[in-house]
Parts: sequence; structure tokens; C-alpha cells
Amino acid sequence: MTNHWNDIENSDCVLAMGSNPASNHPISFKYVTKAMEKGAPLISVDPRFTQTSARANIYAPLRSGTDIAFLGGMIKYILDNNLIHEKYVKAYTNASFLVNPDFKMPGENNGVFSGLVENKYDKSTWSYQTDADGVILKDPTLSDPNCVYRLLKKHYKRYTPEVVSNITGTPKDKLLAVYEAYTKTGKPGKAGTIMYAMGWTQHTVGVQNIRAMSIIQLLLGNMGVAGGGVNALRGESNVQGSTDMALLFHILPGYLKTPVASLQTLEEYNKKNTPATNEPKSLNWWKNYSKYMASLLRAHYGMNVTLEEAYNYLPKRDDGQDCSWLTLFDSMYKGKFSGLFAWGMNPACSGASSHKVRQALTQLDWMVNVNVYDNETGSFWREPGLDPSKIKTEVFMLPCSSFMEKEGSITNSGRWMQWRYKAVDSPGVAMPDGDIMTELFYRLKERYEKDGGPLADAVTRLTWDYGVKDGAGRIHHFDPDYVAREVNGYFLEDKVIGGVLYKKGTLVPSFGLLQDDGSTSSGNWLYCNSYTEKGNMAKRRGNEDKSHIGLYSDWAWCWPLNRRIIYNGASVDPDTGVPWDKKNPVIRWDGARWKGDVPDGVAAPGAGRPPFIMKPDGVANIFGPGLADGPFPEHYEPLECPIEENLLSPQFINPTIVRWDEVGTGTSVDARATCDPRFPFVCSTYRVSEHWQTGVLTRWAPWLAEMQPELFVEIGSELARLKGFKNGEHVMVKSVRGEVEAVAIVTDRYKPMKVAGMTVHQVGIPWHYGWVTTNMRKYVHGDKVPEVFTSGDSANLLTPFIGDPNTGIPESKAFMVNVERKGV
Amino acid sequence: MIPKKGMIKSTDAFERLVHWWLAITCIILILTGLGMMFHSFNFLGTPLGGLKNLKLVHNFTGLLFAPALFFAILIWWREAGVFKMPEDLEWIKVAGGYLWHVDDVPETGKYNPGQKAFFLAVAIFGILMVASGLIMWFPLSLPSGLVQWMYPLHALGMLVIFPFVLVHIYLGTIGVPGSARAIFTGYVTRSWAEKQCPGWLKEMEEEGRLEIYGEEKEEAAHG
Amino acid sequence: MAEKIKLYDTSKCTGCRACQLACKQWNALPAGQTYNAGTYQNPPDLQSNTWMLIRFQEMSNGNGDVKWLFRKDACMHCTDAACIKVCPSGALFRTKYGSVALDRDKCIGCKECISACPFDVPRYDPVTDKIAKCDLCFSRIDRGMEPACVKACPTGALSFGDKDEMIARAHARVKELGGDANVYGDQFVGGTHMLYVLTEKPDVYDELPERPRVPLTVIAWKDWFKPLTLLAAGGVLAGSFIHYLTHGPKDTSGDDQAGGEGGE
Ligand code: HEM
Ligand code: SF4
Ligand code: SF4
Repeated sequence: MTNHWNDIENSDCVLAMGSNPASNHPISFKYVTKAMEKGAPLISVDPRFTQTSARANIYAPLRSGTDIAFLGGMIKYILDNNLIHEKYVKAYTNASFLVNPDFKMPGENNGVFSGLVENKYDKSTWSYQTDADGVILKDPTLSDPNCVYRLLKKHYKRYTPEVVSNITGTPKDKLLAVYEAYTKTGKPGKAGTIMYAMGWTQHTVGVQNIRAMSIIQLLLGNMGVAGGGVNALRGESNVQGSTDMALLFHILPGYLKTPVASLQTLEEYNKKNTPATNEPKSLNWWKNYSKYMASLLRAHYGMNVTLEEAYNYLPKRDDGQDCSWLTLFDSMYKGKFSGLFAWGMNPACSGASSHKVRQALTQLDWMVNVNVYDNETGSFWREPGLDPSKIKTEVFMLPCSSFMEKEGSITNSGRWMQWRYKAVDSPGVAMPDGDIMTELFYRLKERYEKDGGPLADAVTRLTWDYGVKDGAGRIHHFDPDYVAREVNGYFLEDKVIGGVLYKKGTLVPSFGLLQDDGSTSSGNWLYCNSYTEKGNMAKRRGNEDKSHIGLYSDWAWCWPLNRRIIYNGASVDPDTGVPWDKKNPVIRWDGARWKGDVPDGVAAPGAGRPPFIMKPDGVANIFGPGLADGPFPEHYEPLECPIEENLLSPQFINPTIVRWDEVGTGTSVDARATCDPRFPFVCSTYRVSEHWQTGVLTRWAPWLAEMQPELFVEIGSELARLKGFKNGEHVMVKSVRGEVEAVAIVTDRYKPMKVAGMTVHQVGIPWHYGWVTTNMRKYVHGDKVPEVFTSGDSANLLTPFIGDPNTGIPESKAFMVNVERKGV
Repeated sequence: MIPKKGMIKSTDAFERLVHWWLAITCIILILTGLGMMFHSFNFLGTPLGGLKNLKLVHNFTGLLFAPALFFAILIWWREAGVFKMPEDLEWIKVAGGYLWHVDDVPETGKYNPGQKAFFLAVAIFGILMVASGLIMWFPLSLPSGLVQWMYPLHALGMLVIFPFVLVHIYLGTIGVPGSARAIFTGYVTRSWAEKQCPGWLKEMEEEGRLEIYGEEKEEAAHG
Repeated sequence: MAEKIKLYDTSKCTGCRACQLACKQWNALPAGQTYNAGTYQNPPDLQSNTWMLIRFQEMSNGNGDVKWLFRKDACMHCTDAACIKVCPSGALFRTKYGSVALDRDKCIGCKECISACPFDVPRYDPVTDKIAKCDLCFSRIDRGMEPACVKACPTGALSFGDKDEMIARAHARVKELGGDANVYGDQFVGGTHMLYVLTEKPDVYDELPERPRVPLTVIAWKDWFKPLTLLAAGGVLAGSFIHYLTHGPKDTSGDDQAGGEGGE
């Protein structure tokens, strides 16, 4: 989230698209409701009429996977009706930048951007025109045909309401009603917010879905303002935190890049990853890259290892190597892994095309399952129908503490780092993850010390100062408070900066003071300032709202630097410093200083410094050349879809996606079925309020299981009538990859759609279920038996093994299925 | 209260058994019913170990009450269940001489219309009580629309039976001395019979069926 | 002590069921095995271990638009509470907050409240032989806390406060909503202490009586027959006494006077 949960309350229009916050982020509805009480309309765009739709002022259905068409139409609507926040767009975005005249767009280039070679783009034409000094040429009047604004207009000219409606299945009047309501927030002083979740990300165009909305938010001047922003509703209470801390393969903590093999030295690495700009007024914050990297290396290895050595210790990817989820499991499936730690996860249910994942697990020599309860992953070898004696994998279960049995921090979607305390002791032999990891570290270290091995030092020389040490330097109880301090970072020697002496051993007060000479440490530069000499900021519980816009700046801590709304430098008029929205000012200039939220990137009013300082050029990107699949979002059909052609261009699907069905194993688990009469219905997976993720925690909770005991499939009344299904009967949902049994919920909340002149039916299925908590399996002595059984297995048995080209996130929100009566 | 020579047999053993069976269960039902009806009588449950037990006593006593009622109706419906016109009407007109002085109370059979009314009330409302009571005992087994009505009906039954029982007790004891003997020993004095059921006395004598204590039975008593 | 009202605003309810769960948690009510019957609503109905539940109901109008209605079903805490009226043991009682609570120790499991309640609320538990229903979290409100469901509700659909204030708030909200919106609860059974703001007319909602009232059967039973019984019994006793004094016992004696010592 660029903003935060409470801030939704400040919105003048709330768009919930690609999300169902009423069901899946129920607490957010506190703020949605408050915004609505103040008159903000709530818009729900969803293939299915959801609990969010039930509360919405406007509901518009759309076919899964056609969000870009929908949003592209909105961009066109904004531009055609000149609803942009003009001053904002000119000052704070790259709308005026002149693009390379050789750049070609899908409308004029067979549905793809210029530079496509096989399934990868050569992005050389995705560049700007510059002057002799390398400064980007601009046209502040936005009239040059090569300026971003004109290109945008040209690109989305094709997205007329008729075409969009024909693609999305959204009735035209609904489409226009949404456009009209939302674009009202383009008026200076008005703010619209977008609440999105997996409904946008889990597509082969997932990143571009969000890009499309970002463009809308920029055009309407909704970024950086209270009640605006682009707000990802995270699917897990600490997803934001774990992403910040390097959950993904391509980043280190603080969104530093993982080193690749070709970058042999720290210097090369820093040079490659530190962006440069010739824009005279741009701050280009990432120019500090090397300081953050140096501090991270210090956090890992301390002062005993030189920075260069420490860099050498870091694991390196091959250049271009993709280690995202699908690739990992594809490799595992092909027998390239010997072991797996499944730590706090349940890939046997959460992985797209779960059959493939489950089969991949059989290829392992060993697997360690660290979880609160047994799950389908830990017990994969005894899934009904499998013969355990034929499976070689040795499985270890390490029971770990649940969140209320240990202390630590979580970082919520709004980037708030909040400390949690332990409430109860762990049952049995369960341990907090930190203690398990500490134990594991000591064992590994001992082994490496004894036996050596490639890069043994990378392990043996790691610092591990996460608790009180005994005489031998060993800790017996992992203390997250120590980690929090290391994450913030220390001065490792006495240092004078700007005339101030910072003593060795003290905590670094802000990332502005981190050094690239090795004199500071910081486990994550973004979190520098979270633990100061005043104490652990995440523990703060000040609940006074001095800002009157719900910033609650004394409650916990928020990265970066406790800034609650990022890009807030764009919330004011660039010349005068007066907030666009005088009612809900995020920051305001009092003549000498900025007041309000921690200001983001702005210098004094009129100084002309563009406030998007994390971008090299200082402005937000409407033209975004950084992505794998194009600088402007373009509609492509999902890998599996009901229609034979892309109504916008000859390019059917996203040309840059990685295709396992073509290059992969060629087995059924990778198969796809597009426009296949055997699988005529569009399907989407989703969640319900009562269950969480694969249900590992919730299926064992009797009260929750009682409320949602069985896997169901929601089917429109009309389709049910065609198929002769009765409400509540058991049916089989089948894709080309697998099938699951589910209870049919026949509902008017799914309506058939008119798409490309055809009638398209969509069905939907939650993915929380798994065979481990059913009564269709054997429970042997020692197995926990659920108090309330659930029925059904993971809906991911159906989903395709395909992902977004930028992130690799699987396309679980749009695929094709059939639904049949049981036993047919 | 041992019968004396010359007294007339008015009830046989089975009749007396049924009467007491009915009476005792009825009184228990009334008392336990009262305990449930009025919070101020909840204390009646205390000796039984709580209201819950009181309810159980009530319900099971109800089960015992039902057969007694069945036999009672079987035994007495002919004598006490049908009004004889016009004598009974005449009797009613003067309220049997119970309320004001009447020189000539119309002659009645074994049971006067007052007693008949009591019998009928107990019979009709007793059946009602059994039916409604059973349904109320297991209210979830029937549609609630029907069950709902059982409660006021049961209360109505109480409204009718309880006062009647009180009157019955009064008249059976101090109100009409000598009556209780009939239902304890089976015998009444001749004068009692002459006053209370002259018609029956005459009839019995005419038919020669009268049994007199200490004398050979003239004929088998009815039964 | 001021009377309290729990206000439930359907226009703000998202059907998230935090309240339903919170109720089970606070009251330590066990879960039971359930099945999906083609609806999100589960358990299917109120139970002795489910004192409140969200009812899910779909409603389609002619022009293809659909509505999804959520309604929190639980004891309404009537002022003229039929259940209290009929309860023989005094287990059901009115609290000083106006709510209707249950003293489980006193309950004798007679189920009279079940057939009396116009909202079909009390449920019988055969294991304990007692009934169970929402008591508006008496243990909480008596310590100055809001009921557990109100505490859990994220959207503000549930609120709890002084009677007059809540009634005023409900009417203000209805005015704001316009259309078919209405306040449900303050116009019958003496006024309920759970008040609804409904977005649709009451007859639209499943299992919701349009004009609930204390059943005639209960009135006949408790307001007519019960006092009459007392009156009649008292009258008879008094009458007999007077009769005995003024009239004296009937003279059944004669010359034979065999049972003279009688007079029982
Ligand atoms: C002479 C016969 C009876 C009398 C006078 C009598 C009286 C009463 C009274 C006064 C009540 C309380 C009603 C109230 O709360 O207003 C009551 C309740 C009840 N009676 Fe009876 N009753 C009689 C026979 C029976 C019989 C035959 C049964 C069936 C077995 C029965 C079963 C019940 C039941 C189930 C209740 C409901 C109260 C409870 O369960 O707590 N009663 N009765
Ligand atoms: S709703 Fe039913 S149980 Fe609740 S107070 Fe009213 S009558 Fe009693
Ligand atoms: S907690 Fe609130 S929003 Fe959720 S279901 Fe209950 S009343 Fe509705």
C-alpha cells in the first residue's frame, strides 16, 4: 500500500477491483464504511457478486482476466473527457517526456510493442529522447506526438466502451457508470482509492493490471494524497514484512537486488544497480544504493569480514535465472532438488497445478515441514490413493509456535511495523521459528566447521547475535528484539556526520546516515529508524491522531522513516506548497518547514524538485519501460479463455509469459485448454472470510470449519438450470489438469456474460480445502483428528501452471473448467 | 370410621381405589402445577429437590392420572355423566338447596347435578389435561403452532378443575358431613343416603339391590 | 440503570460473521459438524450452541440486479418478553439493562419459552436439559463492556449504547438511507433491545416476523387464565368458608345416626 488501512476513510471514491475486501479483509471495511458514511461511493468490479458487491453503490461484473481492457477503457474515458488533474500530471509524471520515435505500440505493431524477439522484448526503443547532456526532452504542452501523454492517448484510443464491453462482458451502462463515478476524483482536492488483491495479481498480465490502475491514479492526481494511492490488500498479515525482508528470489532485504554471477565484485554489483540520471533537479534516492548494500553485508557478517569478502559469500544467481515459484517446482518436478524446507507454507495446496507440486515432492530425498499443524505437504506421501512404500522422500515435521505463542513484529499492508507479544506458551515441543532457525544454524555451522565445503565461510562466519550468549558464545533463546535492532542497524565505529558524533554501538537513527564504508550496519535500510536509542518504535501505542486524517503517527512505526503516506510530496501544488485537498492535507508548508506526515522527497515549494525520488527521473511513470511486457498495459487474453481471439489485436496472449505447456514436461499437469469445448466455463479461485490461505490453520479451528465446512463451487442459476444442478448437490469441477468434488451453490450472484457475441458462464471456487482434514482419509495413532471435518481438496488442483512474466505469480484467477454431476 | 350395622353400601372397593387414585394424583398435579404456574409457589419444588424435580413429579404423576381418569370415566359416566331431565334442571334451579333455604329439594339419583358437573369437568378437562400435558412434555415433536395452544388449554383446565376440586373437597368433608365415609369405607348412613341420593336409595331398594352392613347381601352389588 | 440497546444496521453488515464467531468464543459454545447446503449460512439455524447467526439471503429483482442480504438473527430482548412471561421457574429474567437473560441453574428444560417466543429464538439442549439463547452478554455489559459481537464487528454494523440514543441513531440512519429502509424493533413487543436498521421491508427477510407480538396463546394463558385460576380458587375457598359459616354443614343425619361421630 502506498497509503494505509485507516486512510481509506479519507477517500472520495473507493474502487474494489481484483479484491473482495468485505470477505477477505473484513477490518478494512471499517474504513470503507466510514468513507461511505461521508458520501464516498463504493464500486465493486468482480466476476462474482460478492459480499463487497452487496455493500457497493455500483456493481459491475467482468470476465476474469480482462481488467486491462476495463481499465484501459477508463484511461480512454479520462483522456477523451479531459478529466485529468492537469497540473499534477505535468509536474509529477513523465507525461511530457518525449519517447524514442522508433517506439511502436500494439495498435500499429500486430498487438505487441516494438522489440519483441521470440518471447522477450529488446527494450532499446522503449527510451526517451534526450539532449546533448543526456537530459530527457519534454513537451510541457503535451502536444508532441511522441510525448508520453499523446502516446497514451493513441494506445488507448482502441479501448472504446463497445470493444471493452465486448471483451469484458460488462454491460456498457455499468462500465460507464463506473468510469463516471471514479473519474470524478480527478478534480483537485478529490481522492479515489483502489483496493486490489490477488484478483489482479494472479494473472499472466498481473503486473500490468496494477500498472493500468497506477496510470489512472496518476492521471487523476490520486497518488500521494490522503484517500488515494494504489493499495495492495495483502493476503497475509505479514506478507508486506516478508516481502520487505526478501521473500522473493530476486531481492535482498530492502529491495536490493540479488547478485548475479556476472557481477563478480561489490563495485560492479553496485555500479550495475545504482541508477543514474541526468535530470538536474532529480534527487534519485537510489544513488545511495551502495550504502544500503554495505550496511546489509555488515549486518550479515559484522566487522570481521571485509565488505568484498562478504559480497563474495552471497549466493549468486546465474544471469537471467528465474527462481520464482513455478520454476522452482518445475525443477523439483524434474528431479533437480534433493531437499526442501516447507516452512510455514503448504505448497501441496497453494501451488498452482497442485498435482504437479504433489508429484514434485515425491522427487525429493528429504523434506522438512515446519508448521503449526500437519498439512497436505507434510503428509503428501500418504494422500489417499498413494502407496507410501513407493515414495522415497524422508519427511520431518518440526512443529512451530503459532503467532500468539511467540513475540515479534509483523508489517501490515500499510507498511506499519507492529510489535506483538507472546500470549501463551507453545504446546508440546513446538518452538518459535527463530529458535528452530537458531538451532539449525548452529548445527550447520558445526558441520561446516568440521567438514568444510564450498564457501563454508559463508555460513561459519555469519553473525548470529540474536539473544543472550553463554560463555561459549552460543545463544539458547532466540530474542526477536535483537533482530529488530540488527534490522535497524548500528554504528560499528565512532562516526562524525555533519558535525555530529555517533558513538560506536549506538543505533543508526535514520537511513540517511548509513554509510558505504562499512562503518554502519543495517539489516534492511528501509527499516532504519524503526529501533532507535529511544527504543523499539514498533512497540509504540500512541493512539492520538494529531493529523486529523488518521495517520496515527505515534502508533507503531511505518517504513520509510515513519512516513504513513508515501509519495506525499505529490499531495501539494508544486509552486505554492498548498495541499490539493485543503480538508485532508497530508503535508503543508508553514513557511519554513513541512508539517504533517513525514514529507516525501519534496524540497521547498517552487524549488522544482520532483517528488517521486525513488524514480531516477523524479517523476512517476505513466510510460513504464521497466517491465518485461511493455511500457503501457495492453489487454491480452488469459492463457485459458473462452474466446478464440483477442478482440483488440492479433496477439492472443501475453507474448512474454513463460510457457511450460510448450517447453515443459508436456504432461497433463502442464496442459492447457483454451477455447476447448470440454472446458467451457471460466473459473476463478478465491477466499472466504472463514478460512485463510490453504486452510492449514483455519480448517483445524472448529468454529471456522463449522461455518464453511465444505469446498463449494458457485454456479450461476442460469448455468445450473442448463446443467440441471440443484442447489447443494455435489458436483465435480474439472480442468484439463485435475478435478475436485464440491458442493454446488446455485446463485443469482453469477450471471452469464455476453462476450464477443457469445454467452459466457463463469464459476468460482475457494481454494482453502485439503484432504488432510477430511473424514475420507485414515487417521492413525498420533494423528490429530479435527473436531469438525471439512470436505474437498485444493482448488489449485485445477489451476494452470503459468505465470506473470515479471513476477512469475501463477494465473489462478482465470482458467477454464467444466462442472459435471458426480459420477458422470 | 368402621361401618356400623345398618349402614348402606354406596361404593365398592374398586370404585374407592379409582377415586383415591384419581384424587391423589389430581391433588399432586394441582400442587405441582401451582408450583410451576406461580413463581411464588416455586418453593413447592424445594422439598422435591428443585423445580425440575417438581416438574418431573408433575409429569409422571400425570401419567398415573391418565389411567385413573380412564377407569373413573368407565365407572361413573353412566351415573354421573348424564343429566336426567327435568329433575336435574329443577335441582339446578334451586342450586340443590346449598345456597339458600329450599323446602323441597328435588330428588336426585346417586349423583346430583352438581356432582355430575364436577365429574364432567374432571372427565372432559382431565382428558384435555392429559392430551395437552403430553404434548407440552414433548413440545418439539409437534408443530409449534399446535403446541402453543396446549399451554392456555392446560391452564384453562386448571382454571376449571382446581376450583371444582376445592368445592368437591369442601362438600365431601365438612360441607356435607358423612360423605367422606362413603369413599373411605364404602358405607353411608341411611339418613345420609336419604338426603343425598334419595332417588338412588329408592331405586336400589325397589330393585332389592341394596347392601346393608351386617346383613346378607340381597344381590350382587353392581360393579 | 439506563436501558441498553444493541443496534444492528444491515446496511453496514458485510456478512463477515466476526460476530457469530465472537459469540461462540465468549460463550464457549462448541462447534458442531456441519455441511454446506448450498449457502454460506452455517450452522443452518440457531442452535443451543449457536446463539446468533448471520442469515444469508439472495434477492433478485426484475431488471437482473441482485441483492445479497445479511441478517443477524438472535434474541431480540423484547420488553414484553413472551419467554419471561411463560417461564415457570424464573430462569428467564429481565436485567436492569432491559435485556433478557437466563439463569441456567434455574432452567428446568420445560421448553415453554420455545413455543412462546415470537422470534423462534430459544433452543433446547438435550444434554443439559436446558434451553440456551443470547443473553446480550450479561457478563460483559454488567462490567461496562459491549457485547462480544459488537466488539468484534469491524464495520460498525453493530453498536451498543443507551436506549434513547440508539433509537435516535437508528431513525437517523433510516432517514439517511431512504427507500425501503426501516427501523425494526421499537414498535412492537414493547420495544426490543436489539434494534434493526433494515434496508428492505421486514417481510422480505427470511424467518423474520413482520408484526411480531406476544402470541395470543400466551396472553390467554398468562394474562387471563392464570389470574382467573387464582381468583376462582380463592373465590371457591372464600365461598366455602362463608357457606359454612352462614349455611352450616348440610344436615345429613337422621334417626339412625349411625355415623354420627362423623362429620369428616
Ligand atoms: C388434573 C390434572 C392436571 C392439573 C390440574 C395440572 C395442572 C398444571 C398446571 C397448573 C401447570 C402449570 C401451567 C402454567 O405454568 O400455567 C401444569 C403444567 C404442566 N402439566 Fe399439568 N396438570 C394436570 C395434568 C397433567 C397431565 C395429565 C400431564 C401429562 C403428563 C401434565 C403435564 C404438564 C406439563 C408438561 C406441564 C408444563 C409445565 C412444565 O413442563 O413445566 N399435566 N399442569
Ligand atoms: S426474542 Fe424471544 S427469547 Fe428473546 S426476549 Fe423476545 S421472546 Fe424472549
Ligand atoms: S461482525 Fe458486523 S459486519 Fe460482520 S457479520 Fe457481524 S454484524 Fe455483519
